[in-house]
Amino acid sequence: MAQVKIYDVIVVGAGHAGCEAAYATAKMGYRTLLLTLNFTNIAFMPCNPSVGGPGKGHLVREVDALGGLIGRVTDLAHLQMRSLNTQKGPAVQALRAQVDKRRYQEIMLGILEREPLIHLRQGEIVDLERVGSEGVSWRLELSTGIILEAPVVILAAGTFFQGTVHIGLVSFPSGPQGQHPSVSLPQKLAAEGIRFRRFKTGTSARLRRRSLNFEAMIEQPGEETPHGFSFWIPWQPRLAASCWLTYTNERTHEIIRKNLHQAPMYCGAITGVGTRYCPAIEGKVVNFPDRPRHQVFIEPESAGTDEVYVAGLSSSLPEAIQEEFIRTVPGLERAEIVRPGYAIEYDVVAAEQLTPFLQLKECPGLFCAGQINGTSGYEEAAAQGIIAGINAGLYLKGETPFLPRRDEAYIGVLLDDLITKELDEPYRVMTSFAEFRLSLRQENADLRLAEYGYKYGLLADAEYERFLAKKERIEEIRATLEKTAFDPESEAGRKITELTGITLKQRISLAELLQKPGVSFQMLQEVYTQLPPGKDEGRVVENQIKYQGYLTREAKMAERLRKMEEKRIPPGFDYNQVPNLSTAAREKLSRVAPLTIGQAARISGVGPADLSALLIWMEARVNR
Amino acid sequence: MREETIVAVATPPGEGGIGVIRISGPQAQAIGEKILRHPSGKTITTWPERKVRLGVVISSEEKVIDEVIFFFFRAPRSYTGEDVLEIQGHGGQKNMELILSAAMAAGARPAEPGEFTKRAFLNGRIDLAQAEAVIDLITAQTDLAHRAAQEQLRGRLSDYLHQCEEKLLAVLAQIEAALDFPEDEIPDLDRKEAMGTIAEVAKELAALAAQAEKGRILREAATVVLAGKPNVGKSSLLNRLLGEERAIVTPIPGTTRDFVAEISNLQGLPVRLVDTAGLRETSDPLEQEGVRRTWHWVEKAELILIVLDAAAGLSAEEEQLIREVKEKKRVFIVLNKSDLPPRLTADGVAGRFPGLPVLTVSTVSGEGLEDLEEKIREALVGKDFGREHPVIVTSLRHKDALERAGSYLQDVLAGLRDGLSEDLLSVDLRAALAALGEITGRAVSDEVIAAIFSRFCIGK
Ligand SMILES: Nc1nc2c(ncn2[C@@H]2O[C@H](COP(=O)(O)OP(=O)(O)OP(=O)(O)O)[C@@H](O)[C@H]2O)c(=O)[nH]1
Ligand SMILES: [Mg+2]
Repeated sequence: MAQVKIYDVIVVGAGHAGCEAAYATAKMGYRTLLLTLNFTNIAFMPCNPSVGGPGKGHLVREVDALGGLIGRVTDLAHLQMRSLNTQKGPAVQALRAQVDKRRYQEIMLGILEREPLIHLRQGEIVDLERVGSEGVSWRLELSTGIILEAPVVILAAGTFFQGTVHIGLVSFPSGPQGQHPSVSLPQKLAAEGIRFRRFKTGTSARLRRRSLNFEAMIEQPGEETPHGFSFWIPWQPRLAASCWLTYTNERTHEIIRKNLHQAPMYCGAITGVGTRYCPAIEGKVVNFPDRPRHQVFIEPESAGTDEVYVAGLSSSLPEAIQEEFIRTVPGLERAEIVRPGYAIEYDVVAAEQLTPFLQLKECPGLFCAGQINGTSGYEEAAAQGIIAGINAGLYLKGETPFLPRRDEAYIGVLLDDLITKELDEPYRVMTSFAEFRLSLRQENADLRLAEYGYKYGLLADAEYERFLAKKERIEEIRATLEKTAFDPESEAGRKITELTGITLKQRISLAELLQKPGVSFQMLQEVYTQLPPGKDEGRVVENQIKYQGYLTREAKMAERLRKMEEKRIPPGFDYNQVPNLSTAAREKLSRVAPLTIGQAARISGVGPADLSALLIWMEARVNR
Repeated sequence: MREETIVAVATPPGEGGIGVIRISGPQAQAIGEKILRHPSGKTITTWPERKVRLGVVISSEEKVIDEVIFFFFRAPRSYTGEDVLEIQGHGGQKNMELILSAAMAAGARPAEPGEFTKRAFLNGRIDLAQAEAVIDLITAQTDLAHRAAQEQLRGRLSDYLHQCEEKLLAVLAQIEAALDFPEDEIPDLDRKEAMGTIAEVAKELAALAAQAEKGRILREAATVVLAGKPNVGKSSLLNRLLGEERAIVTPIPGTTRDFVAEISNLQGLPVRLVDTAGLRETSDPLEQEGVRRTWHWVEKAELILIVLDAAAGLSAEEEQLIREVKEKKRVFIVLNKSDLPPRLTADGVAGRFPGLPVLTVSTVSGEGLEDLEEKIREALVGKDFGREHPVIVTSLRHKDALERAGSYLQDVLAGLRDGLSEDLLSVDLRAALAALGEITGRAVSDEVIAAIFSRFCIGK
């Protein structure tokens, strides 16, 4: 028998979840094998060359605050950055980056290679079994005969499990962008009792930049945003490339309509469930027949290549039809396709098998992260990756899992939604899902999470010290604003009126002034030049003071939620004992097996009547 | 343990014509197989859904009880969301009881009051407001309450609120879509238009909430207390208003020693009439206790009828009583015994107590009683109530939710006016929808996501 290579952790898949997971376990001191089907494709972005946006950008900031990688790598690899929703209130402001995909991969690879405890390896798993008498261990066999073993395995296999690609009526087994699918491993997992569902996603064609006429399109340059995603590395804004906006037209739609019989989503070839928020152009044309045009964005894939991404024209029509309709779009008349768009169906782990910290309930030491759990997006994957990594480390240490709450982080919202809502499409985070949206701002992600990042060993001492110093400056600014006040007739008072247009009636503190609409921290800096400096810090304080009333309200709500979360439901609880539960609720509760009453309340189909029935029963018998 | 199968007579007792028996639960079909036969006597083996079929009900000794028609509804497409067998037989108490006992012998247990509704609600077939209306219906005591319950049952309140919810959701979806998808072509929120929509909804909710106090009277019955000196005819008046000899009437003053409370149907309005011990200075401990209780009822009443004996004149105590009570409660002065030669006239009394309605009646001749009923009803719920058929809110819980929703909408309006950012507007708009959701059972978070994707073409 071949020699067994033993690790603390084996991460299966080196995409956006896998990289974060491996980095986290390595930082926590565990020898980690990061296994990939193809070494060339580490941290590959198979869809759009873009990171961030509302919700997603928040996730990136949070992963970064915890000490993860996606924020730093995006900052280093970005081609342009934009601030979104700048006019819409602080809670929903977000960064979005266009990323140089190739550079992203290079930088990520470099970081991972420098980690002494990470071992990178290419290989395909053909067998998986549970071994070990005391404490479970997992033994994996590669197609080349190599045997690996570890007490923790993190599955981060993206859309590779039983992947099937559809282009028109042609379909074939495949991972994303022509990569080899994973076929044996999902079968072995099924043999372990793991249940899968079939999801669907897709991407658009890639075009040759030189074949496009940019004069017919509207340029979208980047901006010099005041900060990037990462709290920890110096920000260097880059305006390396523009995106370009153009539109479809009736001719485009006509061609698509005429060819729907060749669209796998419409002719019945695809049974997997697709997304509402990222529809193929076929779906947009069918569902919104009145729209005369749809946006198309041309986005650079990399500074070093001629390949561009076409956002808005995701399609799985036959390649020839894709070419035909693409060429009806102004600027794309002579477009040459370098890769066709496609739809991909793949297996995802049915989420009710997962704990909120992403371990499979029935398989000790087996964690799942990323698209394999039914999410979509690099950011969602990265968030789960770091959570699976940290919790794998805590599992090995025998410590309590790390689970950010819904009022603490978008990551908490994501994890809770994932296991509580029964997904009927790939999950994408939205700010609308966050009931504590005003508290979960991008600018305070470090205040919310950096403590954890340091505690678990992902943030270095130097980073943590900088964080503490920043916190101190925030307090200082706040205190100064509260204690500094001016009379209407003073020079500062006149300056205030001049800058803000507000006529003062009586002595006013800077904090009170900041609460007024239209007054910014920057204005206060001009009024009172002795304010402690700090741009980021000022932004935090400004939001804290301006939205105090709402934040207090959210804090109260969070307190109530926490109480509900404290009412724990014992594992393996039998809902059949509880009389007066509706059949639907009984079934759902049994399936989801919520950990707390709070989680139970969020399950759709569990109504207030069910909840009171459950609470009454538990009060009477369980909690005594 | 699975849900038990329940059975009950679905039509009101004592009515002739057709009687309906309903069986709901996992055993419904099995019970049908035991108690139903083809008219030919053959056993029934197929159970097509929602088809009218003829049959006979047999007892456990295989004796034919009744010729019936029956329907089978398969879960979840039934009223309760479970398998339901409905049997329509010949009405009449005896017959219904025989069919019931056949069903029970076959394994069904008698349903508790409202249990079908409870199951329908728990299985998501009807919403909370509808379920509560049914429960009201079951306990409703008079015609108008009955109609309010029925109206609610038909989902009038829910329907009505759904319209409000839809309007608010449209605004919220617009806000949220633009926040979450800033790079899609989501039109900007038209603040003026949004203010119009929200002001309109707020007004509707306020009108509904204002109705609720009256709705509560329908549900819980208003308390009307009859008070006065001994022997003025309080007990006689109670009996007349009730239409039955409930309280003892004698010519001896101090007859009524303890109160008598009884629900009466006052032109469709449920009213709790309370006859009390006559108020006077007394050393009899029993009577003293009666007087104490009278005061207790006065505290609880919505309306006090102070009864005077028109033939006896107005005493100083009575005058004192009227002045004292009218400070606390609505008061009618009722001049009784108008059949006797009067010492008091309505105008005379009205002159002493400006603003208090004075009504002249006689419990002997019946004069003025109908007018009294009319005036009581008007005082409690207003002239047109229940006649113009508004949506009536009968639950205080609903009223509270409506008021909370309304106050959040006022905040949204103020925010729209002051240029508040949209992430903040969303907070109050969501809170308003959540409050309405407490009535209709809809969850904002799910609804808004669905609304976003159905209204806007998202995804670049
Ligand atoms: N003529 C005439 N007699 C009446 C009328 N109403 C009541 N009486 C008589 O008045 C007497 C007292 O009537 P009750 O109804 O017992 O009076 P009450 O106010 O309940 O008296 P207490 O219970 O003792 O406080 C009885 O003899 C009645 O028959 C009326 O309208 N006309
Ligand atoms: Mg009496």
